[in-house]
Amino acid sequence: MQLNKATAAIAANPPSSGNKKISFFDKKPIVKQVKSSTLTNIAGLNSLITFTVLLLAWISGFASRLFAVIRFESIIHEFDPWFNYRATAYMVQHGFYNFLNWFDERAWYPLGRIVGGTVYPGLMITSGSIHYIFSSLNIPIHIRDICVFLAPIFSGLTAISTYYLTKELWSAGAGLFAACFIAIVPGYISRSVAGSYDNEGIAIFALQFTYYLWVKSVKSGSIFWASMTALSYFYMVSAWGGYVFIINLIPLHVFVLLIMNRFSQRLFTSYTTFYILGLLFSMQIPFVGFQPIRTSEHMAAGGVFCLLILIGTLKYLRTFLTKSEIKYFGGIVTGIAIILLTVLIGLTYAGFVAPWSGRFYSLWDTGYAKVHIPIIASVSEHQPTTWFSFFFDLHILVTTFPVGLWYCIKHINDERVFVVLYAISAVYFAGVMVRLMLTLTPVVCMLSGIAFSGLLELFLKEEDRDENSGLNASEEESEEEQEKSPGRALYDKAGKLRRMKHEKPKGNGDGLGSNVRNGVVFFILVLLMMFTVHCTWVTSNAYSSPSIVLASYSNDGGRAILDDFREAYYWLAQNTPTDARIMSWWDYGYQIAGMANRTTLVDNNTWNNSHIALVGKAMSSNESAAYEIMTSLDVDYVLVIFGGMIGYSGDDINKFLWMVRIAEGEHPQDIREGDYFTERGEFRIDSEGSPTLLNSLMYKLSYYRFGEVKIDYRSPYGYDRTRSAEIGNKHFQITYLEEAYTSEHWLVRIYRVKKPSEFNRPRIPISKRQIIRQTSSYISRKTARKKKGYIKKRPTVIKGQKLQKRIST
Amino acid sequence: MKVVIEIFACLLAIITTVNAGGPTLVLLDNLAIKETHSIFFKILQDSGYNLSFKLADDANLLLSKYGEYLYNHLIIFAPTVEEFGGAMSVDAITDFIDGGGNVLVAASTYSGDALRDLASECGFEIDEEGASVIDHMNYDKTDTGYHTKIVADPTNLIDAPVIVGSKNIPPLLYHGTGLIADLENPLVLKLLTGSSSSYSYIPERPVKEYPHAVGKNTLLIAALQARNNARVLFSGSLYFFSDEAFTSPVKKAGDDKKHDKSGNKDVAEAMVRWVFKENGVIRVSFVHHHKEKESQPPAAYTIMDDVVYSINVEKLSGDNWVPFIVDDLQLEFVRIDPFIRTTMKHIANGRYEARFKIPDVYGVYQFKVDYTRIGLTHLYNTTQVSVRPLEHTQYERFIPSAYPYYVSAFSMMGGVFLFSIVYLHYKEDTKAKAD
Repeated sequence: MQLNKATAAIAANPPSSGNKKISFFDKKPIVKQVKSSTLTNIAGLNSLITFTVLLLAWISGFASRLFAVIRFESIIHEFDPWFNYRATAYMVQHGFYNFLNWFDERAWYPLGRIVGGTVYPGLMITSGSIHYIFSSLNIPIHIRDICVFLAPIFSGLTAISTYYLTKELWSAGAGLFAACFIAIVPGYISRSVAGSYDNEGIAIFALQFTYYLWVKSVKSGSIFWASMTALSYFYMVSAWGGYVFIINLIPLHVFVLLIMNRFSQRLFTSYTTFYILGLLFSMQIPFVGFQPIRTSEHMAAGGVFCLLILIGTLKYLRTFLTKSEIKYFGGIVTGIAIILLTVLIGLTYAGFVAPWSGRFYSLWDTGYAKVHIPIIASVSEHQPTTWFSFFFDLHILVTTFPVGLWYCIKHINDERVFVVLYAISAVYFAGVMVRLMLTLTPVVCMLSGIAFSGLLELFLKEEDRDENSGLNASEEESEEEQEKSPGRALYDKAGKLRRMKHEKPKGNGDGLGSNVRNGVVFFILVLLMMFTVHCTWVTSNAYSSPSIVLASYSNDGGRAILDDFREAYYWLAQNTPTDARIMSWWDYGYQIAGMANRTTLVDNNTWNNSHIALVGKAMSSNESAAYEIMTSLDVDYVLVIFGGMIGYSGDDINKFLWMVRIAEGEHPQDIREGDYFTERGEFRIDSEGSPTLLNSLMYKLSYYRFGEVKIDYRSPYGYDRTRSAEIGNKHFQITYLEEAYTSEHWLVRIYRVKKPSEFNRPRIPISKRQIIRQTSSYISRKTARKKKGYIKKRPTVIKGQKLQKRIST
Repeated sequence: MKVVIEIFACLLAIITTVNAGGPTLVLLDNLAIKETHSIFFKILQDSGYNLSFKLADDANLLLSKYGEYLYNHLIIFAPTVEEFGGAMSVDAITDFIDGGGNVLVAASTYSGDALRDLASECGFEIDEEGASVIDHMNYDKTDTGYHTKIVADPTNLIDAPVIVGSKNIPPLLYHGTGLIADLENPLVLKLLTGSSSSYSYIPERPVKEYPHAVGKNTLLIAALQARNNARVLFSGSLYFFSDEAFTSPVKKAGDDKKHDKSGNKDVAEAMVRWVFKENGVIRVSFVHHHKEKESQPPAAYTIMDDVVYSINVEKLSGDNWVPFIVDDLQLEFVRIDPFIRTTMKHIANGRYEARFKIPDVYGVYQFKVDYTRIGLTHLYNTTQVSVRPLEHTQYERFIPSAYPYYVSAFSMMGGVFLFSIVYLHYKEDTKAKAD
């Protein structure tokens, strides 16, 4: 460290040279040197503070993610994590190669799923290797506990990589702010609480770390950092499908730099190295395969690569070509670019390059998915974001991050272009899909960190100078401020900036009285405290429910645990044959596979729309039509979630319209969404609801025998609490299924599908008989005592008559 | 002592011949039927059936006790019964059918409600009260004038020797009501239909309404083989099984040809052997599948594997299961839709085999043998297997189309090596020149 500082101090002397080495070791400026000579060992104090803050950020981030574990238990949450957990457990048990070749015949019956080839294995490998390390150290720890605590632990790593990234972009102080923000910001906690064992938990770390390394490599232009970027990118590809964001954002950064005429050898080296290595690495993941060269999503990276090489060639040729030749050359460049573009379009038409996928279109046109691919629109995390959720997930950061953005634009340089693009694109995507709030959160934290650091820098500086107080924060800020200036001098090309720099302390700092200053600092502190309180509150109330165990609170504050899901899944595991096939809506596929270990028809890996549509069709058809579908799919049991008894709103009736829409997409001649609405276009389950709805399988399975139930003395029989209505179809029988199990609070209802052999002989119901009985039907004369039957026209035996004459009737 | 041993031997014989024979309940309108249909009952008793005769309105009728059925078969020769006595009822009989019991029912012109309900539970209807099958072209010369004692041509029998035996027999005598089958019921077998000139109506009345059954749609005898292979036979005529019908000569009015004896006995005997499952019972005794050149089934097949599937099918003959040999037994390899459908080759002793290549589609498949033939029990056997894709080591390692890439990779390496040598030497040269 010390050595580095020393070399930097010497090398930094020539101002604003583009030397690689200088930019590499530019952390500690000259001013710093002066300071360290006056204050003894300030550098040590500095790193101690950095270390302490980051450690505290890690600990508090970890601790605030433990609400769910403390309130409930160490359990895997929600839906997708169950699959990840199951896959991890399989990998730990059978080894990596068996996992890679794992053909799961219990999913997507009867299609099956090649798990190894359809999964991002980074998560499993990460937790599997942690488990391996622990077990080789003779520390017995269950794989479930590793899975539960993986995301909280990685949140600390995310904080650290955010610190480094922000430090590269702005200053160490801003980095510390950003690290603290990201450790507790709800937008990130929503995907990384303990038990939420999902790709995003580690992917955000990989994302931030890749960006850090990329910024580092752009700054340094070294092949080493670019290779490290590619390696980190490889980890990101193995972890999450969101790697597409990286492989589009980095080329965008390069492209914008080219437009801004900021081409440099550093950029050339880092991007070409990163692109080629990253391309090769990403193709090693079986699930990604040839996508990076065959889909339109990845084509931008390739195009920018070609463009960069073209411009590099051009720059090189310019060194020895005459001016007229250069002009001529520009035409060639554009010509080649046009040819490449037409080749790409041609390949797309010929089918070698896959056109944009539907999920991608839905990013540009928010109404696209709803019209064309209801399966994508149906996923709750794909819904457009509301303003409320921006504030809910980011709180004050959402208001301060434009300030940071403004700072970055004001003091633009190569890497700040990157963060500006990152911010703008992430804001857009977060507005399109709730889920992508996750990619916005880190950049918001970084830019807010920059904003807060800038503000405090402004308002604490004088204090520092005057009183020389030992306050950690002020000292640090001032340090950072000083630290930053030479860095700027290195990178900022525009001369304007330096002037502004001089103006600032004069104009603002001097004019502010200590009251104003204290007031502002106090105000900022209050804001930050409110932020902390908000984060804790949101984490505790909104994001810490495992959603497979529900808690309800009574008026006196007592807590009741509704464990219906696990109860029902356990029932399945214990009472059904091991090869029983269970039909449910796809949401519950992973849970059934994970907890009940039974074959499912569809699950949360929604790769086959037509199969899901078939299940949706079965659910939305009437019983006999549904029975045909169910027998053709060999369904043994049907599982529905019903929340009407306890007022659970996430149940199947509330999701029902999506089933209808998805089914309609594939079977428009059989299912029409309009049939499920009343004439006035309402979706009602009471007696005014549409008859198609009231006779659909889903309705019947949800409300079977519910008409006999009276929840409390004020409400009528069959009163649905979720939809606040009395059900319209109360006393019906189901023919083709029979109730097998209903959990304690009726949350999960399981039905057994009768086998065709149970309908032994098709009977003719009385209503359909052709022969209408003339005499009114016979009234039974049997009683408990008298059990004699009745034979009409009983012949009386007349003795002496010959047998021959009796015509037997 | 000797008697006891004989009885014991008899009991033993009964126990061993569970399939053929067994306890049978016969419900009668009146006990006189026992005498008027003695030949029919004699045939049954001779083939080992243990008949217990009861009146249909007997207050002590009981079909099952403690969840066990007391009888294997049930004969209802009580057309006019309105309500069964004791614990017997239409529901009890349908439960008996669903439990695998076989039922033989004979109706008549004046059928009671109980039989009508039973019939519609099995997918038939008995024509309205008083209605008879009338055929003005094919009636016996002993007919009373309404042309209701009709002569049924054996060509109108169903084309299934296993049920009705040979069709090369004298004509059949029939006197009774017509049956109507549910057209949507795929399980109903039309064993004997009326001729095209027959119809079913009340003979005393002028025909005002369109008859319920006309021509070939008039069923004289129909049967149902339920999905659990229980068999139910409905005859519209009790007379069909009577001694009189069995023995009397047949002479169609307007036809000179005279037969000394009707064909009723042959047909009735064949039908009762079928309905009580002496005939037409087949089963799968053994199923095996494995990869070619292996002997045991693998945990999962891989796509494009060559697979051998074999199945043994047996037929009940008397008390023994003997190989069942046909040439149209098919195997399907199904994943929602059949991907492979092939006729299996008979190897030996009722063992059938199919060899095929698994398609290039992974998933969960079923080997499915679904053999449905009229008169035979439904042969259905599925075996579920998984077909997995290739493992990562099973792909071809060096494919020809990759050779350009190998060449380019190695030429690049060589080129860099050469270039670095050249570059090093070239540098020295320039230095020397500069100097």
